[in-house]
Order: sequence, then C-alpha cells, then structure tokens
Amino acid sequence: MTDLAPDLDQGSKFTPKPDLPPPPNTTGVSGWLRYNLFNGVFNSVLTILSIIAILFLVKAFYEWAFVNAIWEASSRDECRISSTEIGTCWAGVNVWFTRFIYGRYADAEIWRINLAFIIFIIWMIPLWLPKVTSKIFIGLSAVLIYPFLAGYMFSGGERGWFMEVMIAFSLTCFLFVVIHALLCLMTGLGLYRWIVKISGFSKKNERQHKYPVIVVTLLSVVAVAFLIDDITFKYMSNNLWGGLFLTLVISGIAIASALPAGIILALGRRSKMAVIRVLCVAFIELFRSVPLITILFMATTMFPLFLPGGMVINKLASAIVAVCLFAAAYMAEVVRGGLQAIPKGQYEAAEAVGLTYWQATVLIVMPQALKFMIPNIVGNFMGLLKDTTLVSIIGLYDLLGMINAVSHDPKWIGLHHEPLFTAAVLFFIGCFAMSKYSQHLERSLGAGSHR
Amino acid sequence: MSLEAEKHTDQLKSAASDEVAIAMSKVNKWFGDFHVLKDIDLSVFKGERIVICGPSGSGKSTLIRCINRLEEHQNGDIIVNGTTLDSNLKNIHAIRSDVGMVFQSFNLFPHLTVLENCTLAPIWVKNFTKSEAEATAMEYLERVKIPEQAAKYPGQLSGGQQQRVAIARSLCMNPQVMLFDEPTSALDPEMISEVLDVMFELAETGMTMLCVTHEMGFAKRVADRVIFMDFGEIVEQNTPEEFFENPKLDRTKLFLSQILSH
Repeated sequence: MTDLAPDLDQGSKFTPKPDLPPPPNTTGVSGWLRYNLFNGVFNSVLTILSIIAILFLVKAFYEWAFVNAIWEASSRDECRISSTEIGTCWAGVNVWFTRFIYGRYADAEIWRINLAFIIFIIWMIPLWLPKVTSKIFIGLSAVLIYPFLAGYMFSGGERGWFMEVMIAFSLTCFLFVVIHALLCLMTGLGLYRWIVKISGFSKKNERQHKYPVIVVTLLSVVAVAFLIDDITFKYMSNNLWGGLFLTLVISGIAIASALPAGIILALGRRSKMAVIRVLCVAFIELFRSVPLITILFMATTMFPLFLPGGMVINKLASAIVAVCLFAAAYMAEVVRGGLQAIPKGQYEAAEAVGLTYWQATVLIVMPQALKFMIPNIVGNFMGLLKDTTLVSIIGLYDLLGMINAVSHDPKWIGLHHEPLFTAAVLFFIGCFAMSKYSQHLERSLGAGSHR
Repeated sequence: MSLEAEKHTDQLKSAASDEVAIAMSKVNKWFGDFHVLKDIDLSVFKGERIVICGPSGSGKSTLIRCINRLEEHQNGDIIVNGTTLDSNLKNIHAIRSDVGMVFQSFNLFPHLTVLENCTLAPIWVKNFTKSEAEATAMEYLERVKIPEQAAKYPGQLSGGQQQRVAIARSLCMNPQVMLFDEPTSALDPEMISEVLDVMFELAETGMTMLCVTHEMGFAKRVADRVIFMDFGEIVEQNTPEEFFENPKLDRTKLFLSQILSH
C-alpha cells in the first residue's frame, strides 16, 4: 500500500510530451519542392522537361516582344525596314494607344474621362478601409448616384434642372463620402455622428438625430448647385465614345444593373403569385436561350423598325439595354442558386419574429445568399466585361472595335498581333482585379459567420 | 357543427377577451392528402404552461406552428390574444410579434452577431432605436446568462448557448406567448440542462408557454397541463400528476412506458 502511494501521486500529474521538430525535408521550400516537383524519378524528369519548355517559350516571347521590337516608327512599312528579325511593331500600338483607351473622344476633353474615373476610384476606396463605417451607403451611392455625375462628365452639353439637381447631389455625396472616410480614419467617428454632435442634437432622442443631417445635406446640395451653375462642358456625342472607356461604360452599367435586376427576377421566379412567376420564368428563359449577338442585332436594327416613323433610338443606348437584359437573365439564375442554399429555418425564424417578406429578404436571406454567390457573380461579371466586345460587331468602337480600326488605318494596315496582345493585357488586368476583389470580399464577409 | 362544439366555441369567444391567450376550435390541417390535425379544440389560458408530447408524426409540431402561421390551417378558428388568425397579413404580423418561437435547430441568423440577432426584430418590427434595442437585448442576454457572448457570431457558440440566444431573441420582442418546438432535441446531453434552466426561470415569470418536448422531468416540474397527441388528435390531457400517475387510455400508457422505461 505504501509502495503504491508515490506511484499514484505521479500518475495524477500529467505532463504532455515535448513537441519535436518535424522530419527534415518535409517543410519549407525544400520540402515543398520535394513533394510537388521531384516526387519520384518520372516526376523529376517531367519537371525538368517542363522547365526547359517554359524557358524556351519565355525566351522566344522575350525576343519577339522586346529585343527585336520597334518602338518608334511612323508606319508599319518603316517597322519592317528597320528590323531584320521578326519582332513586334509596338510603334503602331504606341501611336494608337490613346485611341485604344478613349476612342475618338476629343484630345482636349480626355481629362473629363480621367477625372470621372478618378472620382469613382476615390469613391470606392473607403470600401476597402476596415475603419470606415456605413459601407452600404457608400457602395449604394457609388452605384446609384455616381452615374449622373459620370454621365454628364462624359457627354457634357446643356443640362436641365433635373440633371442640375442630380449632379449637385452626386457631387455632395462624393464630398460626404470623402469627408466621412477621413473623419472615420482620424477620429473614429463618422460624418453622421459629427453632424449630430456639432448641431447639439446628441442629447436629444435618437429618432431626431436625422434632422440636422437632412438639413446639412440639403444646404450642401443647394450650395454645390450654385457653385457648378456656370460650369458647362463641351458636348461630346456618344458616337465619339470608344475604346476601353466605352467598354467600361457598357459593362459598368450592365454590371451595376444586372445584380438588382437579377435579384428581382430570381425572387419573382420563386414567388407564390403565378402571374409574376410565369413572367419571370419567360423572361429568363427567353434571354438565356438567345445568343447575345442576336439580342444586340434585334435591339439596334430590328427594334427601330417597329417604332413610329421619325423616332430615333440611340445605338449606344439600345446596345446597353440589350446587354443589361441579357446580363440580368443570367444573374437571375445565379441568385436563385444562392437562394436555394439558404435553409428553410432561416425564413421561418425571420417570419416568427414578425419580419415582413421584404424585411426578411433584405435583412436575413440576401446577405447570406449573396455570400454564397460571390464566386459565381464575379465570374458572371468577368464574362460580361468580355462579352461587351461583341458590340464592335454592331458598329460601336469599343476596345476591340478600335483594335480592328488600327489594321484598317492605311499607315498600319494589317497590324493585328500587337494591338490584340495589348487588348488581352488590358482585359487580363480588369478581370484579374475583379477576381482578386471577389476573393477579398469572400474572406471579409466569411469572417466569423461560420465555425 | 355539433351542439357541444358550438358550446365550446361560445365559451372561447366569451373568454377570449381576458383569460384566454390562445383559442383553437375545430382546427383541421392537411399536408396534401395527409390529415395532420383533426378537429383540434384547445384553449390556453394566460400564464398557463402546457407541455405537448406524443410520438413523431403525431402533429404536435404542426399544432404549435399553426399558432404563428408558419403552417396554414385549412379550417377551424385560431384566436391569439383576441386576434383571429386568417389570411390577413396585418393580423399575421400582429400575432407573430406577440408570439415568440424557439426552434429545434435554433435558426439563429449566422451572418449577424448575437447582439444583432436580438436587436434586429425590435428595430425593424417594433421601431425601437438601436440603443433602446441593445439595452433590452443585453437585459435578456443576461437573463439567459450569456451577456459576455454578445459580440460573437452564432457559429462560435455551443448548441446550448445558441439555443439560449434563440430564447433571448424571442424574448426581446416582449411576447405574450412563447412556443417551444422541441428546444432540447438537437442538443448534446450535457447542454440540455442549461437550456431547461432558462426555461424554468421563464416559467417562473408567469409567461404563457406551449412546449413540445420529451423532457418529462420538465413537464412534471413546470407544466400546468400535459397534452398527449397521436394521429393528429389530442388523445388525453391532464395535470402532470394525473397524467403520469393515472393515464386513462391504453395508448397513453404505452407511450409513457416507452419513454419512461429508461
């Protein structure tokens, strides 16, 4: 008995074994190489052969694109004469590059496009900053209010009172977003709280807090409207728009409208009301079953035939509408897929606490469903960005249209490879950025909501 | 309608104004061809605690889900706190904001924090301001003993904690009646008691409760009335003492012997 006692004492104290280092060559760079590239004789041979093939391709491309390239020339013939080896003629791209980006927009007015895009980027930056609050308002204002400002900056000309108000409102929103973001970064309090605080309403009931904010907003809109009253931009007809700029305008509008339209169509398709359901199904199936190019031709050539005489529809506008309808039909099915991933219990819980159908949809179902849908939505958006190149076929000079135009220019006749390569790079940058952003979104929305 | 049923309906209508919280008369429901609820007559008085038990498929969940119209009954009357449950959306929403419900699978909103889960409905349905709603929510989270979890997401909590949050979420709407649909059936055994403790305390505050459960200990301790259902009918109802000591029907005896045998 006495012998057992010390043993028991030892047994009751549990000391875990110390952590040992892992076996050599299983971690770090050497471990990775061993596991992935030199995993056996056959795989090692394949790895070496692949590396040689890649080196050859890279070298050939490097010589074509850089070593034997001609950067300065005034025509394609000059390119050919000055180079003995086969190389690129970047000179053509160089000369035409501004046209690739802006189409036939007047050189003196190009700053308007640049400024509008810079404003958009500044508008969106706060969405990336974790400290900034009210991101929903910032995002919504960028999608709903900014187009008025951008539309005027792109096209210019005289403006009616409605555009005047909307542009002033848009500029005010932009200012508010910038000030709000800066305040959030520096003081940790947003613009809304600051206005409430300064106006002295913070002691009053929370329900009254919105009044000073509304007053400040209205006053700002009026002030901005007076400030911009004298500023008018030169009118730039939209058949001068082109290049990457036009591609971004068409796909931007399509992207911004596709998601809300898709959500409404998807909800309609799941509706209990038979008429709404049938209409939505018919719309979705019709537009999904027809090639985009057919829809574009219908919109720009056939649809005007049905209109009463004298009525002219802008070609760009009808192309945009066509792309939007097409995108909405596809988006509707993506959204429906996401909605089906939400368990029935979520709807029941939302109903049981007394939320209405729309409250439950907006507050409970959509935020969860959208998170599931992000990869598909962004995939759709990337497809849309690339699909808009089809508008070059109906005679709009988008990026691809401008690239075709180079090879029709007498000086650069037949120059295809280099401009197409440029377009590929530009599209890659756009699509890769979208893809990266979607991954960022998935990570930030996924945080904490699942175990 | 038989004379007796008419008499029952009259009784309910006269009582509907004050003591009766829920009055169901001749409620029938079908799922397709399947007759789930058959002529259910039930009145629940204010402050009464009722436990409903019965074999699976007997219609007990459907019965309480009809009370806040998660299921629609096809005929018969359901009157909750004087409001008749019909297809009028206004009535449905009025009843739902007065009747709390706790589900077997918790059904918390996974994209919102615990606190946001609790404040969402008061803000959007009852027009509370954010700070009012948060104060109420913290009060109830303290009552279910998890105020320290307020900033976490439901996925980070254990099953028992999630169910307690679900109870707090319902209580934040300040309901007159609480419905529990097998609240402990999805829980690990060691978490059942923490949820039952919260339900005991809730019962002590005088809340009207309808609870579908197989926790007979809970039934014995808090129930005013135990209802046994089978094949969509209320087979037997009695005080817990009588129900467990002297069940009248053989069907009830068989059921009790099955669930109490171990």
